[in-house]
Amino acid sequence: MKWSLTHGFTMTHSVSSDTRGRPSFLAEQSNLIGLAAIIILFWILFTSLAPGFVSSFNLFALSRSLAVDVVIGFSTMVVLATGGMNLAIGSIGVCAVMASGYLMQTIGLPIPVAMALALLLGAFLGWLNGFVIVRSGVNSFIITLASASLFLGGMLILSKAQTFNALPPEIAAFGRMRWGFVSPLLFIALGIGAALIVLFRFTALGREILAAGANARAAELSGVPVGRAIIIAHTLSGALAASAGLMLVIRLGAAMPSIGQDWLLPSFLAPVLGGTLLAGGYVSVVGTILGAFLVTTIRSGLLVMQIGNFWLQLFLGLILLAAVMLDRYRSIYAERRSLGRKDAGRRSSGRRA
Amino acid sequence: MSTTTRNMTLGQRFLANEWSALAVAIVIGLVTLAVLSPAFLTEFNLYVMLRSFCVVLIVAFAQMLTLAVGQMNLSVGALGGLVAITVGGMMEKWGFPVPVAILCGLAIGAAGGLINGLLTVRTGINGFIITLATASAFTGINLGITESIPFYNLPASFVAFGTGRFYALPYLLLPPVLIAIALAFFLARTVPGRQLLAVGGNPQAAELSGIPRDRVIVMAHTLSGLLAGAAAILAVAQLGSAQPTIGVDWLLMSFAAPIIGGAALTGGHISVAATALAVVLIVIIQNGMVLAKVDPYWVQFLLGALILAAVGLNRLRAVRAGGA
Amino acid sequence: MRLTIEGIGKDFPGVTALDEVSFEILPGETHALMGENGAGKSTLIKIITGLYRPDRGRLLVDGKPVDFTSPRDAIAAGISAVHQERNLIPRFTVGENIMIERPPTRNGVIDFDRVHAEARKFLDMIDPSIDTRTEVRHLSVAQMQIVEIAKALSLEAQVLLLDEPTASITGHEADALFAVVRRLRAEGKAIVFVSHKLEEVMAISDRVTVLRDGRIAAAGEPIAAMTRGKIVAAMIGREERVAEMGTRNVDGTKVVMEAKDLATSFGHRRVNFQLHKGEILGLYGLVGAGRTELARALIGDGKVVSGDLRLNGASVSIPDVPTAIRRHRLGYISEDRKAEGLILTHPIRSNVAITVWRKIASSLGLITRAGERRLVHPLVEKLEVKTPSIEQAVGKLSGGNQQKVSIAKWLAAGVEILIIDEPTVGIDIKTKTAIHELIGEITREGLSVLLISSDMPEMITLADRILVMRDFAIAGTLENSHRYEPMSRAIMDFIHAGDEASPVGEGVARA
Repeated sequence: MKWSLTHGFTMTHSVSSDTRGRPSFLAEQSNLIGLAAIIILFWILFTSLAPGFVSSFNLFALSRSLAVDVVIGFSTMVVLATGGMNLAIGSIGVCAVMASGYLMQTIGLPIPVAMALALLLGAFLGWLNGFVIVRSGVNSFIITLASASLFLGGMLILSKAQTFNALPPEIAAFGRMRWGFVSPLLFIALGIGAALIVLFRFTALGREILAAGANARAAELSGVPVGRAIIIAHTLSGALAASAGLMLVIRLGAAMPSIGQDWLLPSFLAPVLGGTLLAGGYVSVVGTILGAFLVTTIRSGLLVMQIGNFWLQLFLGLILLAAVMLDRYRSIYAERRSLGRKDAGRRSSGRRA
Repeated sequence: MSTTTRNMTLGQRFLANEWSALAVAIVIGLVTLAVLSPAFLTEFNLYVMLRSFCVVLIVAFAQMLTLAVGQMNLSVGALGGLVAITVGGMMEKWGFPVPVAILCGLAIGAAGGLINGLLTVRTGINGFIITLATASAFTGINLGITESIPFYNLPASFVAFGTGRFYALPYLLLPPVLIAIALAFFLARTVPGRQLLAVGGNPQAAELSGIPRDRVIVMAHTLSGLLAGAAAILAVAQLGSAQPTIGVDWLLMSFAAPIIGGAALTGGHISVAATALAVVLIVIIQNGMVLAKVDPYWVQFLLGALILAAVGLNRLRAVRAGGA
Repeated sequence: MRLTIEGIGKDFPGVTALDEVSFEILPGETHALMGENGAGKSTLIKIITGLYRPDRGRLLVDGKPVDFTSPRDAIAAGISAVHQERNLIPRFTVGENIMIERPPTRNGVIDFDRVHAEARKFLDMIDPSIDTRTEVRHLSVAQMQIVEIAKALSLEAQVLLLDEPTASITGHEADALFAVVRRLRAEGKAIVFVSHKLEEVMAISDRVTVLRDGRIAAAGEPIAAMTRGKIVAAMIGREERVAEMGTRNVDGTKVVMEAKDLATSFGHRRVNFQLHKGEILGLYGLVGAGRTELARALIGDGKVVSGDLRLNGASVSIPDVPTAIRRHRLGYISEDRKAEGLILTHPIRSNVAITVWRKIASSLGLITRAGERRLVHPLVEKLEVKTPSIEQAVGKLSGGNQQKVSIAKWLAAGVEILIIDEPTVGIDIKTKTAIHELIGEITREGLSVLLISSDMPEMITLADRILVMRDFAIAGTLENSHRYEPMSRAIMDFIHAGDEASPVGEGVARA
């Protein structure tokens, strides 16, 4: 019966009703430190069990998939900031992938032009999501679920699901390029991360996106153009999804229609493990990078230990569960110490004269 | 704004009804296909259509029950896959009798749903993340056990049930029809069914009225898991083998049907009949695509468009009702 | 059944909602529970109905201690309530809503004929005209209120709590309700009646308990021994009445905002008023009179459909809130600080700077925390917000300090006209005075304030002139003499003007 009190009315039924606050500075850091500690633990474990884990070959492979996972995580993170979600990330990614393949292989456009156009397509599809969500006022879950199907279907109809595997050789060469142990792709991903930190910390736009996510009504009454902030966040998400897709094209040296279909879980894993709130209003860029790092580490470690992909899914699921539950219990513990915060939230969600 | 449905003409009532647009769309679809394609009204084609109706309908119901309480279940497909291979494994490897294997499969489905429900209620974390995580875990167990290898040698009687038919009516249709009737009755006339809808309609009011809200949410998840299991068993019977990939393509469909049928994500508003009609519409469209020999990818595209159209229509109706 | 409330206390972060509250509710009485907004009535009701657990003290039923962990427990113990929130399931029928706690069944199947028959019985006690087979979402607000009361009656509780039951029903319906209350009392039930309408309380109650600032100000006093004045004194305390505003010089020639025959999408019509520079113009009215909606329409969060809105003499049309703030320097502080006013999870710094992010950004569009602090810190100092740091999440501040942050936000934005909606809801008396002084101070610095309040003493303390709103129209304008008795009478006259024939006045007078 003890539960009846602790989760009362603040219990989260819908995506938007999570009343957990922005973590305090210390809690935020402790979350990141905890995540880093877990990553180190896994590295020690994998290194001791499978020496091949730290081979330069594996480190290079790991850095390439990390780059993609990080950007996929960012793509979801920027939409979570608004308190919404984007289930169409994989579909937008593959649309950009196939567009770039078509532009390079069939039309023969120069690589940078093709890539830029593919990014633009991703941004446009994201904008379309945002526009429909804001205009219709319908939950982003439904809209992006439908548009995911729409975009994927459209791509398959147009491309006939044909792989573009005669891309300019520079693509594959870039994919094989190494800076030390790591792929330059990882630096691109980290560069994007730095830009996102600037966006959310130091620009009016980023602040407005977070304000809209934390309390759309209050933000609106304070003069924040909430609709525009949501549309921009979705546009950005689309562009990031396209970037992740293009990174995969570089890595694989081909544009395949199967890209993006397994992005849903990692796209949520990275930001959620990193402490980004589903309810909106708070993001952690560094946390998302670390979250992606943990996922990539586990995937790579299991691969090297030849446990294979089969049990990977189970591990990832359990880790996600463990992470969110840990976070929950920590916040409940913190609340017990600062007395009845739940009740305060409950009170605010209650009466309105 | 105090006009009640009583004061409306039959025509107005039809228009105000959530599933009227669906019914119209279905009739148009049927007539068009019947006129354009001579193959459409053949006994065999009807049999094929009805057969593909079965699994999708139960999957849609599985999602509908979580939507009813304002939750969602992303693990329907993963749980279905897990149940499919355990049922297959029990029959092939362990030689369990068919009814025992089916009961065990249903129990696993319900247990999976129970886990979803308890985790959601106990932690207070929203169902999206919980079921995203459990979906991954269920898939992991599925793949870990089978290493992606299906079970092909299933009892003949079980497979025969999956392919048998009475003229155009597949035997496979029996369970979904029974489930639909039972579900409609459960939601309309029993105390737990009404409590489920009450919690979805206004959780705070339900709790203040003494309804055990958490227990009702756990019940909705458990039933959802049970139905996902039932759908999986039907899918195994339909395919004649227990494929680990059963369920991977259920997610979109599971949301599409209830939403096209007018369900709201906020809960409390679902309809067994409208969801069933939505599945009929989806199946007709799929069949039409096949008969017209169109790219099968069009189905994916149209399904997305259909969801958007349905949502837009509901929105329009809500706006008009609010403005009147 | 005797319900004893013994030394109950309840804390929320930064505020003690209830402290040492003790009184007794006896069978066969109507017990009024009174207090201003934020006095702790709602918290107490939530404790009695099992929604909250007290931090201190206990409840006793017939002398035996009880511990309610959920509303189920309270209902089982014979306590039921009509809460202020709408607590009905919109898509269920009236009958089913009434009988939801224990629908009659036959062989496990709900017997809807009996559901409706039973519901009919309870509904007939108040309003026989509502059809039990109508879905609740098709009802009017008043009808919903009646259904809620019928639902509480159906539980056949020994203690029935009515939280502002007449807030949204007509005089006739209120009369019927009072008749039911008297009948239940005669049957030996206890009725707890929460209201801030003094006339009603005087007419129907046997005893009255008054809460002020979370504490008991009067415990179970017989109503016969109370006067209207005594109850008001207990509710608002002495210090409230003598709050001094100092001399105010309002330049009556400089009109900053003028409404001429405004009509809005919310249904206002023929709204006329003038707001002068440095003036506090009060907008008084009962809940539902359309005051908040008028504010919304003025700041572009609703539409002005006809008439003329002039700012500094120029006719304007305001399409959205950002335009109101940036171009017309017009701001709005919502009555619902938590849902609409502030972003509770964000720090004070962001909450204050939110209105000027675009303005303080560098040419590259960058803003720094240091830049924000430079702007926010002086304001936080000036308004004396009590906080360890401006990085503190606003949700952790007390109500009074939250309200100061709201005001700071608009000072930062440099608005010239500020609409303040219920500035002291949920704020304790001492801080209230500080907020009042703050509002006085900002107007002395040249800001003009449109003050919306249902708190009569607050209105009479603060406003220079008072508009009385009734039914989405201005019923009258008064020069404020700052003397409570004549002013409150004049205001109530406007509210009930043209009302003589209406059942509200009649019902109360007769009762």
